[in-house]
Amino acid sequence: MSLQADVSRPVRPLPELLAALRDRGLRQGVDPGPMPLRPALPTGHPALDAALGTGGWPRGALALIDAPAGGGATTLALGSLAAAQAAGGVVAYLDPARSLDPATAARLGVDLTWLLVVRPADAAEAVEMAAWLARDGRIDALVLDLAGLPPHSRGLDRLAGLLVRSGSLALLLAGDPARAGADVRITLRRRAWLTVGSDLVGQRVEASVERNRWALAGGRAELDLFFAEGRRVDAQLRAAAQPEPVAVERAERPMLRVVGA
Amino acid sequence: MTRLLALVWPDLRAPDADRSAFEPMLDRLDDLSPRVEAVDVGVALVDITGLGALLGEERRVAARAVALTRGVASLTVRCGVGENRWLAALAARLAHHERPDAPAALRVLERGELAALPVDLLPADAATRQRFALFGLTAMGQLAALPRSAVGAQFGPVGERLQDLARGHDPRPLVPRQRPERLGRRIAFDPPLDGVGATALALRRACAELCDRLRTRHLAPGRARLSLYLEDRAPLRVELAFPAPALEPDWIARLLIGRLEAAARNRRMEEEPRVTSIGLAFDRLSDPASRQLPAFEAQAGRWEELRWSLERLSARFGEGRLWRAVHDRPAASLADRRWRLMDIGP
Repeated sequence: MSLQADVSRPVRPLPELLAALRDRGLRQGVDPGPMPLRPALPTGHPALDAALGTGGWPRGALALIDAPAGGGATTLALGSLAAAQAAGGVVAYLDPARSLDPATAARLGVDLTWLLVVRPADAAEAVEMAAWLARDGRIDALVLDLAGLPPHSRGLDRLAGLLVRSGSLALLLAGDPARAGADVRITLRRRAWLTVGSDLVGQRVEASVERNRWALAGGRAELDLFFAEGRRVDAQLRAAAQPEPVAVERAERPMLRVVGA
Repeated sequence: MTRLLALVWPDLRAPDADRSAFEPMLDRLDDLSPRVEAVDVGVALVDITGLGALLGEERRVAARAVALTRGVASLTVRCGVGENRWLAALAARLAHHERPDAPAALRVLERGELAALPVDLLPADAATRQRFALFGLTAMGQLAALPRSAVGAQFGPVGERLQDLARGHDPRPLVPRQRPERLGRRIAFDPPLDGVGATALALRRACAELCDRLRTRHLAPGRARLSLYLEDRAPLRVELAFPAPALEPDWIARLLIGRLEAAARNRRMEEEPRVTSIGLAFDRLSDPASRQLPAFEAQAGRWEELRWSLERLSARFGEGRLWRAVHDRPAASLADRRWRLMDIGP
């Protein structure tokens, strides 16, 4: 029996191999559903919950949402806060850049009555305040919005340790993924714009799970992130969505339309 | 026969008066009688029935009440004694008119003395007073002597009530206030300690001791008051109202020390003060398990717990850090609401 490699067979690209391995794992009975040992908070998007492999954001995780400016990271984070609130949680938004608009948060489904807005002086203080909040475990989910701020990695490791112990979830919005030792890392890439008539109402993004400490990474999900129409309108738009682009002229009333990004 | 003592402090009834002394004054009056009513800010009613056997004549009882309240603040006071609240209050008013410049004045008013007093002293509105004048009624005795049916026909129920007062009848009972429960601890230092910070250990020990005593009774304090008695200066006093009843001695002590140091800084003492004793008191005691709101809304309970964390966060990071969104027009539709952020820090 020859040990020489069979060079006649074509080499399969790595992503394809990984997908095949995942598929094979599924066929062999590896449970891709929520892991029982790590309870999760919903992301607000069932497709992303499934792609994460844990049924949502794992509790106790420091999750980095990596997206370019305007790429939907804040929208996804606020939607996740709304979903956490819907499950009875209390949430916080740490906003050192003073960029949070309460009206936008409300339209994305966040109940402002139970939202704590923290305005630290700088990124370092934001991380420290997040650690204080995480240590008590009385906040179910918090968003640490460091987008556009100078890199600051000191304290994030300590924050991650505190989160694991308390079970709170921290969603980190930061441009440079290298500086965060996140337990979960999601990358968002815009795939299409969503319009109704001539109005731009959102974007279709592909969310890739780059890292997940508690489940197999590599999952992907396609998310429709609507700018500020709220969860109820979101549902209506979803009902109106068509699989293929639909010309507005041919419809009796404006329908959701997907335009290539 | 019921005897009531009305005490009126005119200085406390001024619109811009510092009214913080009123509550401690009522606490002192609790030592005189178990039935004390706070009628209004600066007006108290004390049931002194039967105190004559203990303290002597009514003048001495009133003097005792004044002496007790003077221990809190030395304010001008008017006292009136009568057999019901109308007579007692009117007596205090007459005492003010008779001796306007005296630091303390007392008047005892009996029912029979009312007849000679003018009707203007009755709590009537301007229109009723004008009608009294039209009918030639100038003294309370004239109004009291009229048949009740005639007064009712002319002046209605209001007139009948005024006639009752003119005859010296007032059915309104005294409603004694609920005596607030307090728990206190005082620790003296011999020799005195140098500096405010040196008291931290003793303060923590006092907090722990009081919290342990309350825990056994399933109670928690809603407010802490700390007095720091200094060797050669006026005492420093700070107060800390808790966001929710709490039994956390370490944090109570830390927050009190923080406020104390701020108070010392504001006083701008050049040298470290020498502390002779500290006095710690917990009040607003309540059962923390009796809070009902969390039963109706899940987040409410979580937020109550969170408020303590926020208090600590404010103490650590300073003001202007913690905000909460409120909307100006709650009844408006979602699109028309205007949100603004409100500072919820200390």
